[in-house]
Amino acid sequence: MFSLGSGGAKSPKPSFVSYVTPEEIKPEGEGHLQERSPEFLPGEVVFCSAKHILKCSQDEDSECSVFGTLFCTNFRVSFVSDAIPPEDTVQPFKNKLYGENDIPLSCVDQIYGDYDEKKKLITSSQMMNKYPSKIIIYCKDLRVFQFSLLHAKDETAKKIFQGIIRHILEPKSLKCVFAFSYGETTVSVPDVQRKQTTVMFDTAADWLDEMKRTKGGCKLVKDNEDFGISEKLPQFFFVPTHVENEDLVKYQGKGIPIWCWSHHTGCALFKMASLPVVQEESNAKVQKAYMERMLNAVAQNHLYSVKTEDLSETLPNIQDIQQSYSKFKQNFLIDSMAEFWVSDVKWFSTLETSRWLSIIRQCLHKAVEVVESLEQENTNIVLIEKGGSDLCCVISSLVQLMLDPYYRTLIGFQSLVQKEWVEGGHNFPERGNLLHQSDKESPVFLLFLECVWQLLQQHSPGFQFSETYLTVLSDSINVAVFSTFLFSTPCQKASIMKTEPDRGALNIPPVWEWSLQFDCKAQGFFINLLYRAKSKQEKALRKAQRPKYTRQLSLPSTPPPKKGFFKEETENLKKMLRGKRISRWMQLSDSAQASVREFYAAWQRKPLDYHGLLLPCLDGPAVRLWTQRYLRWIPEVQILGGGDVALMNKMATLVQEVQELCKEVDRQVCQADSCLENPMVFLRSSVHLSSSFPFAANRMWSFRPAIPTSIGDHQMDMGQLAIRDDEDTETTTDVF
Amino acid sequence: MLTGTKSFFRARQSVPDVKDRMLRYGGLDMEGKEPVSLHILPGECILQRATLVRKKLSAREGGGWLSGTLFCTHFRVAFVPKDSPKHDENADPVFLEDHDVALATIEKVVAVGPSRTKLVTANSALKFIPEELLLYCKDFQVFCFLFDRLTPETQVVEITCAIARAYQPLRPRAVLAFQNSAVGSVEMKQFLSNRQRDASMSWFEAPANWEAELKRTGAVGWRVSGINERFEMASSLPRFNVVPKKVLDTELKNTFAHFNDGRIPRWCWHHHSGADLLRMAAFQSDIYHERDDVSRNLEALVFGGHRQCVVVELAEDMPTPADIHLARTRLRALCLGDVSMPVSLPDDKWLSTLEGTRWLDHVRICLRKAVEVSCLLREGHLTVILQEADDRDLNCIVSSLVQVMCDPHCRTVAGFQGLVQKEWVMAGHRFLSRFNYHRCHDKEEAPVFLLFLDCVWQLWAQFPSQFELTADYLLALHDSTHLPLFNTFLSNCELERNRHTKHLPQCYTPVNGWREGLLPPSPHGSLDPPLPPVWDWALQYSPQRRACFTQPGPPTAPHPPALNGKFNTNKSTDRTPGSVFLLSRGTFSCPLQLLPWRGGVGPTPSRKSHRRAPSTEESPPPEHLLRAWTLSEASAPVPHQDPWDPLLPLLLAPCVGLWKECYLRGALQARAFCHPEVTSCHPVERLSQEVRQLGDELDLVSAIKGTRSGGEQVVQ
Repeated sequence: MFSLGSGGAKSPKPSFVSYVTPEEIKPEGEGHLQERSPEFLPGEVVFCSAKHILKCSQDEDSECSVFGTLFCTNFRVSFVSDAIPPEDTVQPFKNKLYGENDIPLSCVDQIYGDYDEKKKLITSSQMMNKYPSKIIIYCKDLRVFQFSLLHAKDETAKKIFQGIIRHILEPKSLKCVFAFSYGETTVSVPDVQRKQTTVMFDTAADWLDEMKRTKGGCKLVKDNEDFGISEKLPQFFFVPTHVENEDLVKYQGKGIPIWCWSHHTGCALFKMASLPVVQEESNAKVQKAYMERMLNAVAQNHLYSVKTEDLSETLPNIQDIQQSYSKFKQNFLIDSMAEFWVSDVKWFSTLETSRWLSIIRQCLHKAVEVVESLEQENTNIVLIEKGGSDLCCVISSLVQLMLDPYYRTLIGFQSLVQKEWVEGGHNFPERGNLLHQSDKESPVFLLFLECVWQLLQQHSPGFQFSETYLTVLSDSINVAVFSTFLFSTPCQKASIMKTEPDRGALNIPPVWEWSLQFDCKAQGFFINLLYRAKSKQEKALRKAQRPKYTRQLSLPSTPPPKKGFFKEETENLKKMLRGKRISRWMQLSDSAQASVREFYAAWQRKPLDYHGLLLPCLDGPAVRLWTQRYLRWIPEVQILGGGDVALMNKMATLVQEVQELCKEVDRQVCQADSCLENPMVFLRSSVHLSSSFPFAANRMWSFRPAIPTSIGDHQMDMGQLAIRDDEDTETTTDVF
Repeated sequence: MLTGTKSFFRARQSVPDVKDRMLRYGGLDMEGKEPVSLHILPGECILQRATLVRKKLSAREGGGWLSGTLFCTHFRVAFVPKDSPKHDENADPVFLEDHDVALATIEKVVAVGPSRTKLVTANSALKFIPEELLLYCKDFQVFCFLFDRLTPETQVVEITCAIARAYQPLRPRAVLAFQNSAVGSVEMKQFLSNRQRDASMSWFEAPANWEAELKRTGAVGWRVSGINERFEMASSLPRFNVVPKKVLDTELKNTFAHFNDGRIPRWCWHHHSGADLLRMAAFQSDIYHERDDVSRNLEALVFGGHRQCVVVELAEDMPTPADIHLARTRLRALCLGDVSMPVSLPDDKWLSTLEGTRWLDHVRICLRKAVEVSCLLREGHLTVILQEADDRDLNCIVSSLVQVMCDPHCRTVAGFQGLVQKEWVMAGHRFLSRFNYHRCHDKEEAPVFLLFLDCVWQLWAQFPSQFELTADYLLALHDSTHLPLFNTFLSNCELERNRHTKHLPQCYTPVNGWREGLLPPSPHGSLDPPLPPVWDWALQYSPQRRACFTQPGPPTAPHPPALNGKFNTNKSTDRTPGSVFLLSRGTFSCPLQLLPWRGGVGPTPSRKSHRRAPSTEESPPPEHLLRAWTLSEASAPVPHQDPWDPLLPLLLAPCVGLWKECYLRGALQARAFCHPEVTSCHPVERLSQEVRQLGDELDLVSAIKGTRSGGEQVVQ
């Protein structure tokens, strides 16, 4: 709340007062209650349900509370309102799998119970027999639901409460996840369709294509097809050509430099799971020799020097990330608006103390460092981390996004996630706490999306996808339907999909099949209007301009080794130089910092090319809060008829106009005689857009507080000052 | 993280011999043989020049470097790009071209050498050849010039010293010399006195403007009074003020003494719901019992045409000018990064430091006050009076913000300029003291007007499509306040301003008929250069920049609201006094002494009725206001599209932004930061250009087709 307000900043906890007694609603409600149920998905089973549940809104306003029925199924907790929804509501951005009153079970973050005005966190271990008067559910997509059980019958209330607790909070096995029952009952989408879109990297051909695209020269390893080398590695992967085959099997997949991406100069980015720490000296020696061999092999890749980057030393660890995020998200999970106002005074410093933005900055900075080494110094980079599948994924994907415009297209980005995260063995279920079995939860993938969002908002014309796309993707992690986020490793996926041949095809779709969640029109919101694909002309021009890569920076004295000639000398020289190099890179010195800064300044001096290298600015004001994701459900901060959306809307209209005119010009020029075609008829639905569009677009606009004052406590309630929007915002859906 | 290197330097004092050299070179520059020449103002002379200099371009100029020639004159530091188009000799002079900076705006000159950075002052000598020259300006801009190896070294040293000597920071009376150098020449005076005033906006100097404003807003029951025409009643008030019709001038005369500085309640604006907005200073005199008709007149003044009146107290919870000044200073330190500060702020402390400046808090408080007042006004049938101790600072902010929120006219360029004239310039905001141009009002310095501009920017940022004016316009106005050349900002009230400009406009008063200017010309009046108003944008900015002042696709102008005939036909015959409430700290109350004449001692008829009033007023106030607000909530879910509804900004922390284009441009430019969001022009602009282009193309094609088909017909 505003500091200027007089007393009364802390209003007492809202206690629910209903002006409608359950008796009153029963007679009329009974009639149509039976028919009203959510549209169940294939494979969805109802566990329990309870009538006369009251869904309370965040502001202590009884008018917005609704009675309805609460269902708990194997997929979601669903609330169906008794009130018949108005027919004419247009939902431009409706999710087909779950509605605005549905909470997928895996999306639940925390459950609180309201016991005699006291809020208690409910954990599965203390399964209470006494049910609370109110269940408060915090979702991972930052929605907050409050269901009051006061008006339901005793036993149904108890049943639904226990049902929800059991199905949400108790550990379960992977097979119980809804995706399996869903997958058994749906028909698979023809494979052909999938091929045209995202590269899944589950075949050797996909990997070979990628290698060809980046013009790298590494060796494809096929030995892991049945996961003989390691269960954590993908079926197919690339290693430097000089890695001996017998070395691959030594440490169960650890210590192998896995190829990620090749720079156009030939130097490449690798990632590696670090070797286990050993005590015995002899083993340590063996390990050291092994590492030496590996790094040598990497150095043979185009004869560039090697730089290793141990991410666990320089970046916050998994626990730090989790802690920081759980602090950070508390700012947005709000029970009552009064609470939000209280946080208002110290808003910026609270955001800062969570250090989430600072972690984002660190990751981006690390990625810039790696980019600098690749682009400027042409060294091979090996990212090292304990498991090789958390921060390695973050940094390597960020580096590729910054360097390679292909990954900034929608398809390219999806392929990148597929390559680095899904096939790279990021443990999605564990990090997302899907099964409630482990305490290793950490929003690593979300951290990556946050970093991408920072890049996106700084260089929006460079990206084909929009921030809405990123927000939706971050939500989809918590919908347990998609194979993308279901398995910890490719091995697990293969083994589970294989073991059930008799039960018919198990079809668990990847998240990239957006048509499962959104219709075509809504998918239009994924596209960034400002993105301009590179024209062919430009491409040709660039190709001509790009200089033949030179190696002046690395091993300047080394010509490509001629057969037998000077070989030993060069080997020695290389060894010497490499030794120096590696040791130099181990310590991150001030000079390295300075060189990064210089690199950044040099990049800025050049005109910005959205199809070239993009670097983020990391100054204090430049790293921002992802407002769309974090503030979308808080009506108090939604600017109705204003904000960026108003601009976006205007842009959409103009883009549409441009397209129309282009078409018209083409038509006029090409067929100069016929004027039969009518210009397209544009449907314009006049939806009032708020700044959190397309989310929460059709919420009840119960604007209480136009201004954060203490007036709410007094009789003069400024909250009534409904935000009126005097703008004729029109959405033009056709563009999409 | 990726910030520039830390810079240390200490100023060294030594006697330079550069001075002599500079004088030697001074005459040389008048030859003007070089291909690149500066388009100088009449009477302006070039002190020094340096060739083959590169200027770092800011992001909004496209980033990168531009090479050309750097000049230093008496008046400005000018930069002429190498291949800039030849100037039209007959074109009107412009004070500053796109790459120029006025000397009076410069705050610091810093020379960057190969290994050191040094603050250059008038007395310091340079011991090294600078590679870069940084000019830190008061308006948050930073100019950066890079000297190539090709630049003659003597020129480098000399221009640096020339600038350091010429900009003369912080010296009292330096401003006059600066003004003289800019507009002191005979030609310039001639030119300026021949300039036409912008007739499309209201200046509120003549009664006709006020009458037009009354008519435009649909206010009834008010008249323009010329009682203060000789500034005898209140020296800080304008000559014409709007007061209720029923108070005659003779009656009005006695009321001035009851207000601080004679600033009686005056009409500002009329909401189409029927409510009126007034402003006044604090009550002063407490002797009322002697003459009853005075309190009757005071009542009439306060209540206007309504039975109900809300006094909005602005002192209680609002920042004082000193607070504003402090916040601004902190914000400056944060955004510009003081070069003399060795340690730069770590990036992860940015947010809390920003919060610590409290600038955004002040912005929010002002906006919140304005929102409250706007909502009160919407209910109609009452008079809202803004009261501040001296009625010259926060009253200006709040009353003008209310009008920006509620009146679409005030969101156009002309309307906004009229608003500033009405609520700031004419109302006697102490621009001269607050901006402290002369460096002799250090205690009173406070950027109140800049706070207002930031508030308007917040509104603009939340509702960009509701404004005809753009952020570029606000930025231009922001920058112009730092240029002490405009009579708009160089006086504290109209009286002072009239002393500066000799000619007084013809004025009409109902009492005395037509009159000529009344004041004797001040003794030094003829010496002062005639200063232009700030609204003469053609003097300051190139047409390209002025083109950005309005939106490409402005919002459709709403038709004036149908007057719903709600306004009270004054029941002034009713002798019972109206009810009055105080809105302070967001709550209503009815303190007994709110209108001091009512609580006065002595047997007066007004007191008799007053005895009845307080008893009812103890209970919660405006019944109908409460009712109206609950009603509006019930109908809230469907936001309707009345363009006359106020823009109510959201004021929670995440919704209030920092005016980056203004405050961060210097810092970012100094680091050659290519601001990612701002490309050379806004995407919307680019798109609308494209639309225009395609439309033209289409026309062309169809025209060609038309002629071709026409030709074919002829052939056939």
